[in-house]
Amino acid sequence: MATAYLLLAPATVLLLGMLAYPLGWEVWISFTDFSPLNDHGPRFVGLENYRHLLADAEFWRAVVVTVGFAAATTLAKLALGVAFALLLARPFRGRTLVFLAIFLPWAYPASVSVIGWYWTLSPPIPTAYSPFMGTLKYTVDGALGGGAWAFLSVTLFNIWRGSSFIGVFLLAGINAVPPELFECALLESRSAWRRFWLVTVPLLRPFLALAVFLSLTTAFADLANVWLLTAGRVVFPVVGTQAYWLAIKGGQFGPASALSLMLVPFLLAVLALLFRAFDPPAEARA
Amino acid sequence: MNPRPWWRRAGHAGLLLVATVYCVFPIYFMFVQSLKTAQEDVFGNPFIVTNPTLENFEELFERKGQPRNFVGRALRRDYPFFVWLENTIVIFGGSVAITLAAGVAAAYALGRLQPPGFRWWRRAIFATYVVPHTILFVPLYQVIIRLGLDDNPVVLLLVYPTMALPFCVWILSAYFQNLPREIEESALVEGASRAAAFYRIVLPMSRPVLIAAGIFALGTIASDFMIASVFLLSEHNQTIPAGLATMEVALDELLAVAGINLMAIPVVLLCAVFARGYVRGLTAAMIEGA
Amino acid sequence: MAQVLLKDLNKKYDEVHAVKDVNLHIRDKEFIVLVGPSGCGKSTTLRMVAGLEEITAGEIAIGDRVVNDLPPKDRDIAMVFQNYALYPHMTVYDNMAFGLKMRKFPKAEIQKRVQDAAEILGIQDLLKRKPRQLSGGQRQRVAVGRAIVRHPQVFLFDEPLSNLDAKLRVQMRVELKRLHDRLETTAIYVTHDQVEAMTLGDRVVVMKDGWIQQVGEPLELYTKPSNRFVAGFIGSPAMNFVDVGIQGSDSSLTAQGTGIRLAIPPVNASQLGPYKGQRVTLGIRPEDLHIAAGGDQAGYVFDAVVDVVEPLGSEILLDVKAGPNSLVARVEPTVRLKVHDGVRLAVNPDRLHFFDMTSEKAI
Repeated sequence: MATAYLLLAPATVLLLGMLAYPLGWEVWISFTDFSPLNDHGPRFVGLENYRHLLADAEFWRAVVVTVGFAAATTLAKLALGVAFALLLARPFRGRTLVFLAIFLPWAYPASVSVIGWYWTLSPPIPTAYSPFMGTLKYTVDGALGGGAWAFLSVTLFNIWRGSSFIGVFLLAGINAVPPELFECALLESRSAWRRFWLVTVPLLRPFLALAVFLSLTTAFADLANVWLLTAGRVVFPVVGTQAYWLAIKGGQFGPASALSLMLVPFLLAVLALLFRAFDPPAEARA
Repeated sequence: MNPRPWWRRAGHAGLLLVATVYCVFPIYFMFVQSLKTAQEDVFGNPFIVTNPTLENFEELFERKGQPRNFVGRALRRDYPFFVWLENTIVIFGGSVAITLAAGVAAAYALGRLQPPGFRWWRRAIFATYVVPHTILFVPLYQVIIRLGLDDNPVVLLLVYPTMALPFCVWILSAYFQNLPREIEESALVEGASRAAAFYRIVLPMSRPVLIAAGIFALGTIASDFMIASVFLLSEHNQTIPAGLATMEVALDELLAVAGINLMAIPVVLLCAVFARGYVRGLTAAMIEGA
Repeated sequence: MAQVLLKDLNKKYDEVHAVKDVNLHIRDKEFIVLVGPSGCGKSTTLRMVAGLEEITAGEIAIGDRVVNDLPPKDRDIAMVFQNYALYPHMTVYDNMAFGLKMRKFPKAEIQKRVQDAAEILGIQDLLKRKPRQLSGGQRQRVAVGRAIVRHPQVFLFDEPLSNLDAKLRVQMRVELKRLHDRLETTAIYVTHDQVEAMTLGDRVVVMKDGWIQQVGEPLELYTKPSNRFVAGFIGSPAMNFVDVGIQGSDSSLTAQGTGIRLAIPPVNASQLGPYKGQRVTLGIRPEDLHIAAGGDQAGYVFDAVVDVVEPLGSEILLDVKAGPNSLVARVEPTVRLKVHDGVRLAVNPDRLHFFDMTSEKAI
């Protein structure tokens, strides 16, 4: 057993140091009025920061946008991902090429493709396609409010890249399911639609659940990427970016911490639900 | 089964085409721009390139100190692209290696040695994904300063692994858990020590899953530019993504796009070479497991 | 070549006492089979000999060496596993050479030994393949080959045939026996299949719930089972058991069960004397039942009704009911009987078994 703990040590230390400790600090600060603008150190204020937040209409707007963004991108990614996986499930000529094409958006480093994507959709300088994109941007912003186009572009980017990951991931999932189970389903029902819902989806449930969760976590990272890239030009407030704004620009670390932590319980609840699908309790194992 | 009717096959092919275009077009578009001269960029057809040139790529590699042209009255800054490239290779390679080493060790402990409560341990590691890195900048910065790693690329070697580790531990431990115990035991009986049984038998036969974990780690790490650009301040410490983000887009758009492609090409090639292994490894980890 | 001694061997897991006070002397060159239902402790015993399980109490000696604290690699044993445990990333050759390489044998010697083993097993043509390109039977051979190249002191087999289909299993059984005759290496073989145990073992050890039930040569176990469990476990179809009361005088005892009444043959009379007025279990093997004919003595016949007829070609298995008791009789293939026919059966008086009801020991 000593060996086991020894082997677990590097991963655990990394995660504790780089995640758990900062998280703990964040939790502590969220109960204080800490700010570099103050002369004094952090002062304990209890739930004050949280109380403020809950009373703030802007916060609730951010929550709505955040949840909406997460839900919409996840649904779209899942739908596209499932479609990709099913398209690739059976052998056909040129499958490798199509597979590579579908793998590409994820394999292409998001750190740079997000930049390229954003510039493409909002060209910073005159290029051949700038006028067209400009018109599009003003139309969308005009219809949905300032910053809508930028926000939309992040959403599209996240879906584009995420559907690639989920498609490949589910393809692996389909390969992991014994083919007899699908053949069996072929005997059960002639309707492809019914087969899909009654057999394919339940069989892939653990992989779908895992995919949903991973997709949720990347949704926020992408958003933050663009937010930083555009120096806050994404006007639509989202919980993560709003917190960043408060902390860096406003120097209000206390409220910022409280705000950013609001995401965690939400994700934790989703994870707890999903664990039931992809990590069933021990009794299944011999 | 009956051969499928032509219209169904045509439909399938059509869907494949749509999917392919959807996935590839944005990348194609960026690639095309990077091959353009400034003139064609402004006046040409955005979808094709008529006079492909590598001058944007070449320009990236021009040494510091060499004169660069003016655009209007603005002097175009030059960028230490070589240094960025070096940093990027070291940091990406190192992070993937650290992720795999720590991940394999932890996964072997959880999947095979199964200390008390290993299930919860495994879940806890995975659950760290609920904490978006984006909300941790301020405290993370304090940790880094305390470690004396301010503006030091080593920081990324510590932070990046934590982004990929949970998933890697998850699939690797599922795989180790399902690996027949007898294979290792057989090696022990045959004359191997525990360590030898691990690196001569278990590790080589886990290759597909290791590839899957490695590719996932690379993809995850390569997707970050925020952490890099927040923690690496001096120009000579930056990675390509962080560096590109500092470019004057208005002046050097084509240069930046070329940089994007230069950064992406090796990563994409690596992923493409291992793509099949990636799927195979994920599948291997998921069979009975997950 | 070596003897193996197990002394007061015990294995306890957190809540399970898997192996209890096992004492066994396995002689040099002997082929010994541990057999029993799943969870009887046979595999655990074998794994303790291999060094894959820690010994809770007791001692294991291979040759003259107590090996309790030796790791598996230093015990000079070879093991064949149920799922073969071939290394999937290595060729057949490398699989077989692995143990020799780990022991730093010279290259030429390795090559020679692998070739020899491959020849013995008829797998010379497979040496360059990977395990996944082999059939079940071929994998089995490779696993055996991997064990024999090292000329170990003891072979350990953990249910090596149970993943094969029935036909192949019979074939491999014969080959293993031939191989053992040729190599003359001490072998410990674990199986849950009593036919395998009987055909392969010089001696057979029957285990249940961690205890050794009986150790003996195959026929000894069959003809003289020491208790009801062994009697029921060895032999197929299994021995019939009938609950009977012992009645009558010392000179003419009878066994009276519901719907069945048999005289007690003189050979059993003296042992059963003390059981007069008590209940015991009567055991009759299916082949010791036949259709009654003129020659059968009146005391040894009873009437029954045919329940199921199972014609096997060489014989017929008759499932009959005598009162509430279900019995199986193995009869001539020429017998023509239908379900619900009445039938008069006779027992072979020299081959009746009696067991104490509480201790289940043979009387």
